[in-house]
Amino acid sequence: MELRLPELSELNSEAVITFWHLSENERVLKDDDLVEVVTDKATFSIPAPCDGILMKIWKKDGEVIRMNDVIAEIQEDRSQ
Amino acid sequence: MRKYFKMDIRDLGLAKYEDVLDLQKEFVSKRIAGNIPDTLIMVEHYPVVTLGRVAEEDSIIDREFFDKSGIPVVRTGRGGKITYHAPGQIVLYPVIDLSSRKKDISFYIDFLEKTVAGSLNRLGVPAHISEERRGVWAGSEKIAFIGVAVRRWVTFHGVSVNINNDCGPFFRMHPCGEADIKVTSAEMVLGRKLDMGEVKKVFAERFIKDLEGEYGIAFAGAVGIKQ
Repeated sequence: MELRLPELSELNSEAVITFWHLSENERVLKDDDLVEVVTDKATFSIPAPCDGILMKIWKKDGEVIRMNDVIAEIQEDRSQ
Repeated sequence: MRKYFKMDIRDLGLAKYEDVLDLQKEFVSKRIAGNIPDTLIMVEHYPVVTLGRVAEEDSIIDREFFDKSGIPVVRTGRGGKITYHAPGQIVLYPVIDLSSRKKDISFYIDFLEKTVAGSLNRLGVPAHISEERRGVWAGSEKIAFIGVAVRRWVTFHGVSVNINNDCGPFFRMHPCGEADIKVTSAEMVLGRKLDMGEVKKVFAERFIKDLEGEYGIAFAGAVGIKQ
């Protein structure tokens, strides 16, 4: 599934990736912090939306992203 | 949407930055789990320089001063850049669940600025917010500094407000990473020190009132500060 930047503010749609907690091909667990972004005067931790494998990171540290941009691809674990 | 909210208000007195950061993280986890109500932490810190997630090390102009003074420099996970904390400065760390209010970070930071400016006005300090720059200002000088973190829509870190603290160390850095910022305190504006107990009472009451007003949810209970 695609991981997108959620809406963090009505008036400010941009954010910058500060760091990924995990690397590509690592296992992710639902609700664990996955990536941190900074916007306005705040950092915001985006949690993993599901259990699975972080297949692809589309937006690297330092990249400017906008609301709804796809930032990663997660292969969802459907075994459970 | 909730119709009312509860809030614990805790005055930690004078405390080490790292200890309070650990406590905030514990509170955030408990708040996410629904085990505690929204909480406002009020504290004064021992002298410390903190660098937000995107702060540059070269914002410290006079590193030797901080080293010789034994003032630690701590890298931390909040937004914003560089600031300084010391006794006589009130620091507010709201641990608030925004998911049942309004999930909007800029709106929350606007709220923080408004409640700090309103509290300072109540204390007689002519403070205001700016359309162009974050923080709270007294004239053209900055008096309050904001740096927030949000996890699962629960807030931590917050805002520091210069009341009676020595502002000298701010002149040995570029506060907020900007070279042209001049810094002031309530004491410098008013020409007298304020009673910190009274300051905390005013900030706590105003915080609750503005939280009700900005988010349209009533506060349940009386404003009481736990030590």
